[in-house]
Amino acid sequence: MKKTTQSEAFNLNSGNNAFTYSGAGISDIVQQRRSRLAESKKTENTPMKPVGDLDIKDIRGWTLKEPVSKNTYTVIKIQTGSGLVGYGECSQLSPAEFAEAKRIIIGTPVTSFEVVAPKLSHVTTARAAINIAMLDVTGKIAKAPIFQVLGGPTRFKARALAPLTGNTDQELINSMNRLKALGYLAFMVPIPTVVWRNQGQEYVLATRNRLDALRAAGGENTDFALDGSNKLTPGDAQMICEAIENFHVLFFNEPCLPVSIGAIKKLSAENVTPIGLGKGITGENQILDLIRDDAVDIIRPSIGLNGISQIKRMAVIAETYYIAVGPDHNGGPIGTAACLHLAASIPNFFVQKIPCPEAEEDRLMRLALVAEPVETIKEGYAPLLTGPGLGITVNEKIFEKYMEASL
Amino acid sequence: MKRRNFLYGIGSASALLASNKLTGQNIFPEESDDCGCYPNTSFISEQTKPRVLPTPWQRGDYDYVLSKVRITDLKTIPVSVTPTSDRPYVFVKLETNVGVVGWGEATLEGKAGSAMQAVHDLKDSIIGSDPIQVTHHWQSMWVHAFFRGGPILGSAISGIDHALWDLRGKLLGLPVYKLLGGPTDPEGVRGYYHARANSREQLIELRESAEKLGVTAFKTGLPAQTYEWIDTHAKIDRAIKQLQMIRESLGPKIDIACDFHAKTSPAVASIIIKEIEPLNLLFVEEICPPENAKAMAKITKRSTTPIATGERLIAHFGFRELIEQGIVDIIQPDCAHTGGITGVWAAGALAAASGISVAPHNCTGPIGGLAAIHTDAAMPNFIVQEVCSGVNSTENERVWEEWLGFQAQRMVNGKYPLSDKPGLGFDVNEEALKKYPFAGTVPMARVFADDGSVCGW
Repeated sequence: MKKTTQSEAFNLNSGNNAFTYSGAGISDIVQQRRSRLAESKKTENTPMKPVGDLDIKDIRGWTLKEPVSKNTYTVIKIQTGSGLVGYGECSQLSPAEFAEAKRIIIGTPVTSFEVVAPKLSHVTTARAAINIAMLDVTGKIAKAPIFQVLGGPTRFKARALAPLTGNTDQELINSMNRLKALGYLAFMVPIPTVVWRNQGQEYVLATRNRLDALRAAGGENTDFALDGSNKLTPGDAQMICEAIENFHVLFFNEPCLPVSIGAIKKLSAENVTPIGLGKGITGENQILDLIRDDAVDIIRPSIGLNGISQIKRMAVIAETYYIAVGPDHNGGPIGTAACLHLAASIPNFFVQKIPCPEAEEDRLMRLALVAEPVETIKEGYAPLLTGPGLGITVNEKIFEKYMEASL
Repeated sequence: MKRRNFLYGIGSASALLASNKLTGQNIFPEESDDCGCYPNTSFISEQTKPRVLPTPWQRGDYDYVLSKVRITDLKTIPVSVTPTSDRPYVFVKLETNVGVVGWGEATLEGKAGSAMQAVHDLKDSIIGSDPIQVTHHWQSMWVHAFFRGGPILGSAISGIDHALWDLRGKLLGLPVYKLLGGPTDPEGVRGYYHARANSREQLIELRESAEKLGVTAFKTGLPAQTYEWIDTHAKIDRAIKQLQMIRESLGPKIDIACDFHAKTSPAVASIIIKEIEPLNLLFVEEICPPENAKAMAKITKRSTTPIATGERLIAHFGFRELIEQGIVDIIQPDCAHTGGITGVWAAGALAAASGISVAPHNCTGPIGGLAAIHTDAAMPNFIVQEVCSGVNSTENERVWEEWLGFQAQRMVNGKYPLSDKPGLGFDVNEEALKKYPFAGTVPMARVFADDGSVCGW
């Protein structure tokens, strides 16, 4: 209705040299825009100019497996035209995803780590590793650690969180004592084994008792996060939240599946126990609803699914709501190095989870992968890595020994 | 003249302050829950013994993760291109122990004196520190300010932030847009000029120039200098007809934006943006003053025309509500006010997560504009940069050429070209700056309605 009046008004004013407008003219604009968009898409697919010195020339990948824990993760290596190399790590990558990511990034300037991200939005796991590797090379070009490239250091050490392993309280105490000897002071505690839905008072008390037993054994300078691993129903989760409210955990991680924000919102409204969420998240927009609905106190995106830059973007969102960042990490030592650079690049970092496998063989593998001591903890904190890029020297020779697949 | 000398003198006065024994240290009152207002713990009282703790730098904790470069001095250099300018450029210069210098711009329209003083008030966070850790310093200037936000603090932080990024780029050997992970488009950053054409003939001429120069977008304003709370049909019709004429004369290929400059009330703005819906403008800007998000939302809901705002909003914190409530389609942080490169990047990242675009505002001097261009080149959700000039270069730009060696606001084929030089990519001829001495703070124009009441412009 409005449009008819408007086109009349246009015709009143149209002079010789002017465009004449009608309803059809307006849809021309839409068509113009569309064709412009199509043109810009076309240029993306036109053959690239020859690979320059600082463009990505090659990418390789290896999926590695820890011998005892069977934990797997993919290490990638990119190489520029001039021969500079950078390493990255992500969660296990499929050959198809690797091939698709490779097709997109060959010929890309190695420093364009931020603008390459939207082009990889359909292969987010590969995007994580590529981001880390591109930053590694950018740091080597700048002869500076990644945190300096990204505007840090915002801190000079990063608080570390070690996941405890074991089924019984005593096994967990033993695990804690071993990790305490390594320098850790904050621990992620698994909830007691979940046997059924809505387990009631016995289970709630067992959870509280587990935390009390650990604190009694660990002393006053230890801190704990309770890890629900999405295994509880909202009903159990909210009762546990209540039961541990005055224990003052650092946070209750993944108390129940965040498939319904409603359940988490209720939990968060009922209790003051800080809530940690986000290990499965692969895009910064996915944390928006959690944050805006007051459902989370510490966002925990995984380094292996997001890389450094994506989590840095999430940290900006969290910062405007005064919310902390404590990235999840289930991969290897290259991922840990990336986490430490991220921690020193953002203002609202709180704690970094570092995998600490129980078996000696797994630990030796982690030590052998990287020449520098990446996972060395002192009084609860990890020192930063100061070499250029990631600040690590990757030992490719041992890849073969632990390799699950070559990409 | 005396005033100018006084303000030039601030640079050297800072050296005096730097010798104060408390400078750059953590000063805590005896009781940690003390707000600092009691005489016995006053920071300045002679009788008191405040507990003075060293900063993490003084303890040496940061030594192993910093570069060896330290900032040795912070200077403000104000210049007035014309004595009546309401925005004398407040350039910020950071000097280092390795001889490398960084440049920034803390220009604030109508508040040159306040902006300069605010830069010097932040000296303790900067002098003696490493320019590499810009995020840390940004946080220190923002959080330690206690009174966060506002355009004066925002502009001061911006000027220092540009200079830190300039230094970082020079020290790390990369242009700033590469440190930020760009460029999106190696050919440069898409920009728009101001239309500066009022008649149909001038507009047609403008279209022809644009076609020749490859310019793809222009911005215009509303035809009246002021609008009242409610306005007459003559003024409203004139605004609508003018925009229709601009669209007709420039044709469908050129994007057109219109700046309402917050001189309209929600009542007046709503009518205009409803009527111009069929023109499919790129955006309308500042449809009402930005401090009331709900009022802006009322207008936004009434039109499909994309809404842009943000030149007066400070840091990413300032944009949160408008983005969260879905009130804006495009944010327009100003690199010289919102918190510099760090501030624009953060606001852009916040917008990106909600699918909102960034079209940075820029109406100060050349350095703020160049800092914006570097940031634009690295933001995936960037659409267009305001280039505060017309298709023909202005007297201002000829002056800028004397200072920087090139006309800092000229596009090539509709895009602002990117420099390969490290940092922000320019050197400043300080001798040339001296030819345009600071002529004092000049307030922004004061405009009034026909009945003498106060209006914005």
